[in-house]
Amino acid sequence: MSRLLLFYRLIVRPLLQEPVRAALTVFAVALGVAVVLAIDLAGTAATGSFRSSMETLAGDNDLEITASGGIPEVIVGTLAALPYVLRVSPRIEDYAVVPETKQSLPLIGLDLVAQGSADANSASSATNIAQFEEALKHLGDNDSIWVGASLGRKPGEHLQLLINDRVAEYAVRGIYPDSNGNEAAIVMDLAAAQRALNRFGRVDRILVKVPQTPGLEEWQQRLRALLPPGVEVHPQGTGTNENRRMLAAFHWNLRLLSCIALVVGAFLIYNTISVSVVRRRAEIGVVRALGASRAAVLAAFIGEAAFFGLTGAVIGLPLGRVMAIGAVKLMAATVESLYVSSRPGPLELDFASMLFSLVIGVGVSVASAYSPAREASLVSPVEAMARGRREYTARVEKTRDLWLALALGIAAAVASRAPAIAGKPLFGYLAALLLVIACALAIPAFVDALASFLSDALRRILGIEVLLASRSLAASLRRTSVLVGALSTAIAMMTAVGIMVGSFRETVVLWMGGQLPADLYIRPAGREAAGHHPTLSLDLAEKIAALPGVAAIDRLRAYEISYDGLPVELASVDVHILGSHHKSGFFSGRPAGEVLAELHDANTVIVSEPFTYKHRVHAGDSITLSLGESRPTFRILDVYYDYGSERGTILVDRNTMLRYLPDPAPSNLAVYVLPNASLQSVRAEIEQAAVGHRILVFSNRDLRSEAIRIFDRTFAITYALEAVAVLVAVMGIAGALLALVIDRRRELGLLRFLGASTSQVRKLILLEAGLLGLLANIAGLALGFALSLILIYVINKQSFGWTIRFHWPVAVLLAGLTIVYAATVMAGLYPARVAVQLNPLEVIHEE
Amino acid sequence: MATVSLQNVVKDYLTDGQRVRALDGLSLEVSRGEFVALVGRSGCGKSTLLNLAGAMDFPTSGQVLLDGVLTSTLNDAALTQLRREKVGIIFQSFQLLHTLTVLENIELPLLLAGKANARTTARERLAWVELEGLGERYPHQLSGGQMQRVAIARALVHSTSVLLADEPTGNLDTVTGNAILELLRRLTREQKTATLMATHSPEAAALADTVVRLRDGKIEESTRR
Repeated sequence: MSRLLLFYRLIVRPLLQEPVRAALTVFAVALGVAVVLAIDLAGTAATGSFRSSMETLAGDNDLEITASGGIPEVIVGTLAALPYVLRVSPRIEDYAVVPETKQSLPLIGLDLVAQGSADANSASSATNIAQFEEALKHLGDNDSIWVGASLGRKPGEHLQLLINDRVAEYAVRGIYPDSNGNEAAIVMDLAAAQRALNRFGRVDRILVKVPQTPGLEEWQQRLRALLPPGVEVHPQGTGTNENRRMLAAFHWNLRLLSCIALVVGAFLIYNTISVSVVRRRAEIGVVRALGASRAAVLAAFIGEAAFFGLTGAVIGLPLGRVMAIGAVKLMAATVESLYVSSRPGPLELDFASMLFSLVIGVGVSVASAYSPAREASLVSPVEAMARGRREYTARVEKTRDLWLALALGIAAAVASRAPAIAGKPLFGYLAALLLVIACALAIPAFVDALASFLSDALRRILGIEVLLASRSLAASLRRTSVLVGALSTAIAMMTAVGIMVGSFRETVVLWMGGQLPADLYIRPAGREAAGHHPTLSLDLAEKIAALPGVAAIDRLRAYEISYDGLPVELASVDVHILGSHHKSGFFSGRPAGEVLAELHDANTVIVSEPFTYKHRVHAGDSITLSLGESRPTFRILDVYYDYGSERGTILVDRNTMLRYLPDPAPSNLAVYVLPNASLQSVRAEIEQAAVGHRILVFSNRDLRSEAIRIFDRTFAITYALEAVAVLVAVMGIAGALLALVIDRRRELGLLRFLGASTSQVRKLILLEAGLLGLLANIAGLALGFALSLILIYVINKQSFGWTIRFHWPVAVLLAGLTIVYAATVMAGLYPARVAVQLNPLEVIHEE
Repeated sequence: MATVSLQNVVKDYLTDGQRVRALDGLSLEVSRGEFVALVGRSGCGKSTLLNLAGAMDFPTSGQVLLDGVLTSTLNDAALTQLRREKVGIIFQSFQLLHTLTVLENIELPLLLAGKANARTTARERLAWVELEGLGERYPHQLSGGQMQRVAIARALVHSTSVLLADEPTGNLDTVTGNAILELLRRLTREQKTATLMATHSPEAAALADTVVRLRDGKIEESTRR
């Protein structure tokens, strides 16, 4: 009890006497905790707890049977006829859009009659819907649908649905409860779904419930032996697990990015405790002389940090929950456009999340306070009471730290050359961390040298105040270095991510120039997302090809297939058409025409760069793919740059694709207009020809703009994370300047005695803020450049497999740095006000 | 005309809601070239009198004139200007800025006032206090006596007409303290400043032209030598 009382009197009470400064530190920690928690919650909702929309109404089956391009329906019969007690549930899986609301919903085709009779009592499966006598009457109707309760529809209502490129009217026959892991979907009978999707004779997935003996693996092997080679048998949910694996890198990178604010917060806690120790050095001496042990002093300052951490974490919890709402929207959009169709799960702030926040808040605070707290515990009573604090603040070993920085820089360079571990760029992160620490260690020498240079260089322009400001910063080298370190870390991250995103953007823009040679692009108006490719009616493609202004059309078809346990895109093109327009280069450097000629109608493929990286294959290697019922082997001809899909793409000739997957309907059309034809007229002719179909026609420019819009949306969350980190740092500057003003009140009072006006005192504090900002900007820019190289050439490459060309996004960086600089100077306004309001008579006579 | 003139000055402070009278109807005049010592017990009003004479505070009632200018009629900017041009201050604990060199400390008031040739003037003042050659040193490289000399040079860097010294020898040994007092007396004469020195030391007071003994905010005795 007495210890608590002492803790309150010696640690908490002084904090309460400077409420603004204490509040700024607490809020900085709170923001750091909040942003990490927000990304964790949002990441778990959008990716971590990923559950494919296609698992809706999947029930509790054991195995799933899949094949690229669909499974022949006859296999359902084969399975049903086996002499085992199996429950076989074939499914059609796609998407439908409600045109009036543009809401996209999973479209599930089920064998409702079979399921209804097999399991009439299941409460959570689609079989419920077959229980209704009224509904049974309409099972065979092509326009019958059943919908999830959350859609708010009633039986008997009519609903228009856009499926692929056609809109049709459907009648709601029944409602099913969409809870317990099921989401709102449109359910049709299997035959009706096949008709609506033009997918006759095939189903997308067969779910199988097997008896408990002789074990799942044995059943898997038995069934596989009975099926054609291309048809795969896996435990149910394998697709979902594959997607989870694919999303892991995305989630992991965002998580690490969210820690930047926490790292910046750690710098500020370090600074706060350092200031606390420096200020109370004499007090520490007295308390030690009165019998306090070293451990008690250490515990007191660790306790102060824990107090900040705990208070910050408690505030950060609800703040993080609110921030997560925004974050999950951004992350879900990215997952949707780059990875896989899914719906984010609910945000759950459970006990584990709360514990996580408290641990990171208190843990980071205590860890960052340990060094100054230990120094406090080593204070000798006589020395502390006799010599005051000035010598203590001067104890910064610049030269030693500079050598250490150099050593760490070299270690970072070595780490950046190391390969990924289990697909994660762990050494890349280590290299980045080492660089940040190296920079922090080099900063005292940098601040000392630059402050001296700046004071001489700027004195003529800005007057005596700049000399006073720079000398003051150099005199409190330790504190200044920590502040510059914190702000420069935030700026460096902003710069690094800015350069990386800017370079990526520029690379994508350049790539699109060669990759999108056609004049117009057409796709169905139905939902398109990563892993899902609605198709156009074949007759429409023929009609467009025959239009007078059209020189040629390229029919692109894409499937999502599984390769080596991960989802990949399999796409086909008309090689002879692409060959005459394609401009993008290949890794081998061979001419595009030559490579594409070898692709024509042969068992050869070209693959995208991310595919080679993820699956460790190269040009000349062979890959075996499960296509339809067969497992053909293809030789990789070459590798091409591709920034359209992170999962990796395998490209084949259309004829080759049709050999294995005979559905001729294209997913997209690339239209080449005759040189003498008007683009607008051809577009109008296409729209005329497509009456009755719902299609989207993009000009080449529209498509590029749309791609860039999606790109910018994808990286919006990274900008938001950086903004929070910078905000934390600027708040730290404000708090530290306030401490500086309070500590230097005697000096400021003296200046007033010596004739300084209030505006000169204000200018002095603002100049200190400005100098801090300038030093941090310079250091941050340098560190940011180095970090951007690691991000581009190590972390990005090892996480996603993309080659990005380095590019300086000058305008973005200039704008970002200017905003940060202005914010830093503004952070000095309140401390400057406090300085101006100091009473010189009072402060000068305090000592 | 007196350089410093306090006429029937009263100064009250509010401490924890209680009014405390620091100066009680005090009148005093100090002319150019005159060295006045203020003596008395702690709390008798010495420092308050120095603050008023240095235009750093206003009286509750009565008038304070510096070179004929009534301080209570000035706003903050004008008061700052008056302090810059007329007043130099020396403290017991020297109050040098440890981040600046000796010359930079001395020229600081000139630079704050935006005056030209600050460095030349600072060197000249350094010569006045006999510290030529130490201009590039930092305060922590000087002895206590040297630091106080630097503080005196800084106080006189403007063409100061009022020099205020608050216990200038309080932190110095006797020999060094005497040398500082001798320097103050010499400079008062040479530079024709009106010098007011608050001190507890009878030896220090003995060097002044006039010794004013304060008690409870009033002049108890004024002795001219």
